[in-house]
Amino acid sequence: MIIDELVLPVLMVLMTLVAGVYLVAVIDRWLAGAFGLPQGGSAWLGPLRRGAWLLTQHANATEAPDWQAWRLAPALYLALAAMGLAVVPWSATLVATDLTTSVVLWGSVEALATVVIFLHGWSANALFALIGAYRYVALGLSYILISMFVLIGVALPAESLQFTQVVTSQTEMWNVVRQPLGLPLFLIVGLGMTFWGPLNLADADDLAGGTASEVSGPPRLVWDVARAAMLVAFSGVAASAFLGGWLGPWLPGPLWMLIKMLAVLVVLLLLGWLLPRVAPERCMTLMWVVLLPLSFVDLLWAGIAALLNG
Amino acid sequence: MDYPLGVDIAFLLLAVLAVVSAWRVFCTDSMVRASFFLLVSFIAVGVIMMLLAAVYLGVAMFFMMAVEMMVMALFMVMFMMNPAGLNPMMMVHQHRLSIGAGVAAFVVLGGVALLADFPVRPLPAGLEPVRSLGEEMLGDSMLIFESAGVVLLTTMVGVVVLASHRGRYGGAAEGSMPPGLEPGGEPAGMPEAEEGGGHHHHCH
Repeated sequence: MIIDELVLPVLMVLMTLVAGVYLVAVIDRWLAGAFGLPQGGSAWLGPLRRGAWLLTQHANATEAPDWQAWRLAPALYLALAAMGLAVVPWSATLVATDLTTSVVLWGSVEALATVVIFLHGWSANALFALIGAYRYVALGLSYILISMFVLIGVALPAESLQFTQVVTSQTEMWNVVRQPLGLPLFLIVGLGMTFWGPLNLADADDLAGGTASEVSGPPRLVWDVARAAMLVAFSGVAASAFLGGWLGPWLPGPLWMLIKMLAVLVVLLLLGWLLPRVAPERCMTLMWVVLLPLSFVDLLWAGIAALLNG
Repeated sequence: MDYPLGVDIAFLLLAVLAVVSAWRVFCTDSMVRASFFLLVSFIAVGVIMMLLAAVYLGVAMFFMMAVEMMVMALFMVMFMMNPAGLNPMMMVHQHRLSIGAGVAAFVVLGGVALLADFPVRPLPAGLEPVRSLGEEMLGDSMLIFESAGVVLLTTMVGVVVLASHRGRYGGAAEGSMPPGLEPGGEPAGMPEAEEGGGHHHHCH
């Protein structure tokens, strides 16, 4: 019982986490090379080399930081990514935790991530880190709202808050077709929540690195790994909520899930390279004035469809 | 007793975490830290609720308290003239009253816990906690919950409007002029007034 309920799920999540984070780093290096950025060495060894380099570096200290929060924040962000991966189903039976409210749990992972990212910048007791932290809180609230409406949209046809049920409800038609607004909105939220590519406003270059501006050495490694892990968790949730999860012909379920997760990851990383960067103020307007109303439309659409089919 | 030992262990650990982090709320000297200690306490209570088969309410506690504590910390910092919540400040006030209230609440709740005769109600087979909660909230009791929701929202908007009427440099209706460096002096930090339109001189 202990093996089934404790050891296997933990191993599963850890394996996905390690492999996923490594793949994110490798694919991102490939893309950087394809977009013409000079890459020293092979893409397979590059992430390992950078990780090893960060591990040997000195961890920076600022004047009177909140040590506990500062050191805990990267680890907590990584833990939140692991929690997200734990509710992603690989097949009807292969789920680390098949909670009946797993969609809501993912929503709380997003909400708690806001707290953790804020703490990461706040506790450094440094100007740029603090600005990055407040900037993320301002934007993070809109990300949470958009993601929440979009996810309620996928819960409606499933009549359940459980990811396994959400996947089963897509047997006839995937949610990406049924609710065409859902996946694009969710991907943008994913880029925003991991502050990846154009939506990197919390750790932005104009803030000299934002919340991570004073972080170096091993804590920096954990922070970078945690961001990549959160991107992997996002791709897992997106694949289950919109792309039919493990459903698919010929191949076994977990393999389909793997293919779909990788596809979402590549799309996310590509978007990270292709989309233009927006200034924080304009991004805020974009989120509240354009994307949030679009998520209302998505939810209304899903609700009317559920009423007509029910 | 048809639940595993792990439930008891988890309950004890979570209860200790909830009480200790709640106590830390009153020991810290920072609004932001106090908010997040309170968040840790609420999360521990949320997990205890999940152990009690309130699967939805427990998880709802996580995201509601996360957003609530974040927004609360933000608003406190904005209203309290304490730059970024970094300056130390006393987090407790009205000491005698609050100690009295705390002792009274402890005695009453402790008395209830020790003396009351709690009914034994095992979970009915086939209970779906999420569905039954949804039917309760959006069925017969929908009017109550919806009116409570609207009232709370109105209260929040009203409180912000009332509280933000008076800003750092006086009432909102009077415009925002910073105070002078000496009593009754010119507003501080204003640009020097140039004579005859400064812009005109520089461009030809």
